[in-house]
Amino acid sequence: MKTIQQTLNAPDSLLLTLIKSLTSLSSAKVIVLYMMLLLGFTLSLVGQSEFSLTLNDAWQALISPDSGSIKQQVILSLRMPRSLIACLIGLNLGVAGVLMQGLTRNPLASPTLFAINSGAACLMALSSIGVAFISAFPIEVVTFIGAALGGFLVFFLGGGLSSHHNPLRLILAGIAINALLTSLTRAALIISDDKAHTLLHWLSGSLSEADWQNWLQLWPVSLVALLIALSTSRGLNLNALGEQTASSLGMNVNALRIRVCLAVLLLTAISVTIAGPIVFVGLIAPHLARSLFGNNHYMLIPASGLLGAALVCWADLLSRFIVPPAETPVGIITALIGTPFFIYLVLKEEKQ
Amino acid sequence: MTRFQKSLSGGGLLLVILAVYSLLNGAHHLSVNTVVSTLFYAGDQDFIVNHYRLPRLFIAILVGMGLAISGVLTQAIIRNPLASPDLMGISGGAGLAACTVLLTQPDINPAWLPVIALLGGFTAAFLIYWLNSRHQPSPARLALLGIAISAFLSSCINFLLVLYPIEVNSAMIWLTGSLWGRNWDYIWPLLPWLLTLVPFSYYLAWRLDLFALGDETASALGVDTKRLQIMALLSAVALASVSVAVCGTIGFVGLLAPHLARLLVGSQHKLMLPVAALIGALLVLSADTLARNLAPPLELPAGVLTAILGAPYFVFLLHRYKGW
Repeated sequence: MKTIQQTLNAPDSLLLTLIKSLTSLSSAKVIVLYMMLLLGFTLSLVGQSEFSLTLNDAWQALISPDSGSIKQQVILSLRMPRSLIACLIGLNLGVAGVLMQGLTRNPLASPTLFAINSGAACLMALSSIGVAFISAFPIEVVTFIGAALGGFLVFFLGGGLSSHHNPLRLILAGIAINALLTSLTRAALIISDDKAHTLLHWLSGSLSEADWQNWLQLWPVSLVALLIALSTSRGLNLNALGEQTASSLGMNVNALRIRVCLAVLLLTAISVTIAGPIVFVGLIAPHLARSLFGNNHYMLIPASGLLGAALVCWADLLSRFIVPPAETPVGIITALIGTPFFIYLVLKEEKQ
Repeated sequence: MTRFQKSLSGGGLLLVILAVYSLLNGAHHLSVNTVVSTLFYAGDQDFIVNHYRLPRLFIAILVGMGLAISGVLTQAIIRNPLASPDLMGISGGAGLAACTVLLTQPDINPAWLPVIALLGGFTAAFLIYWLNSRHQPSPARLALLGIAISAFLSSCINFLLVLYPIEVNSAMIWLTGSLWGRNWDYIWPLLPWLLTLVPFSYYLAWRLDLFALGDETASALGVDTKRLQIMALLSAVALASVSVAVCGTIGFVGLLAPHLARLLVGSQHKLMLPVAALIGALLVLSADTLARNLAPPLELPAGVLTAILGAPYFVFLLHRYKGW
């Protein structure tokens, strides 16, 4: 009851929301979380390189950059953007997952299972083989349309638009649409380029090509989308009580839906544009966050984002260690972690 | 003519037409005369016709039959319209096992592949059975669990393919199912399995009809339901696994074929089983023919095309399904 009271009295201004979100995350768990993220970030700056980088090199590169040193160049122009991008993409996907679960009140909702990831990837692949009307747009717009298309197809065909929709049907429809879109993506990629390696890498999400250019592409969109995401905290808290209760408490449900959808699509689309579909992050992070921090979205959204960031960062680090010097696409690592988690969630749901 | 005869003869005719088309067309078009003379007397085009297109034609038909019958058996035994070997993770297990062995021991004799795939398929089936044994899930939940397990298995395959990078067409066999580069070597290991399992499933047909009436009615009518379940499941897993061993997990055939057959001839298994087998063969053969002819000389994996057809159908089934 207390949280409901708090929610109702909560201010809705963005700045206050932001402050509230940041300050609410100050317990010991959060410190551990930040440490995890920081450790992952640092290690991914120096880990597994031909040049045997040390932490000292990384530190020197930050405080007194020396353009003559190869090690510092590696850290500054290759490792740094890659690690930053890994964190931000993880953050995006974690937040997107928590927003979707909050809006649909479906514990399995996530960009991967609702085909938003694969929709974006599919349209991107189609535009790369030059399907005329798609190729005319810039790539960010293409992925955004793809993400929207994937999500809409799932909701429309899974019966999510009717008031009495079945959550299970939605998920199964999502998986089927996912299979369809992935198949189309594969077909498009085979037609455009028959090198197995690049194909596999791109299909399963990889950060190995990330550079500063990508970072400049990524952060402005992410920032806007994350701010929109944070602004929905209060609405999502109310929405957890059920749509009817929420609207009788004075919430505009449709406005919330639009904001959440916009944020989710932007977050997912820009992430897919940079790294391809990195799967299951948006499913794992929100669940971990919920078990650590409870159901208050003021806390849940940033916490899930941080967990997502830590997850992708560590997965990316791991991806370089498995078969050096070759790189495993980071999406395969998250899939290997994520699918058992998915099975566990299905079994847990069954019990209830 | 009954509906059964009509469907069977119509399907047969279609199969013959498709078979001829697939022998004539591809990256290199051949005339009817060339193909006929090559079939009987070999000649210049011997390799293309007799060693490339002909074995693929046969494999497509055999694999399609295997997957379709496996789908019929699974759906009958689990009494679940959403069940099929690939959605249950059985194909995934078989694919993972076969793929692991092929990648780590590239020189292995293809005759071993079905056996290895069988092991994988049975392991996956056992895993599903074990996860289910603790609570009785609804059919839709079972489908979800199966899909989750298939997702895990296919991400394992993905991972293996990164560890052992291979050429794209071979990789596609294991990722989506494809008949690329399959020759006579792969037919011989497949044949004995299908020759025993297909008649055996036909032998089970009328018992499956009784089983559909419910456990109690079926046993009152003299069917040993426990034994029937085990035998049908074993043959379903075996059929799916040996098919997967040869050309990977060609998805949705085991789901589509039984449903289409039921639409055509009703749900009596004695009639439905042959029709489903025919439809399965048609599906895989047309997918493979299309895959070779869409953008020659490039080849799409057949599994991509069956998924493009099958996934929307699965959504349609969800729309119609009422047992949530």
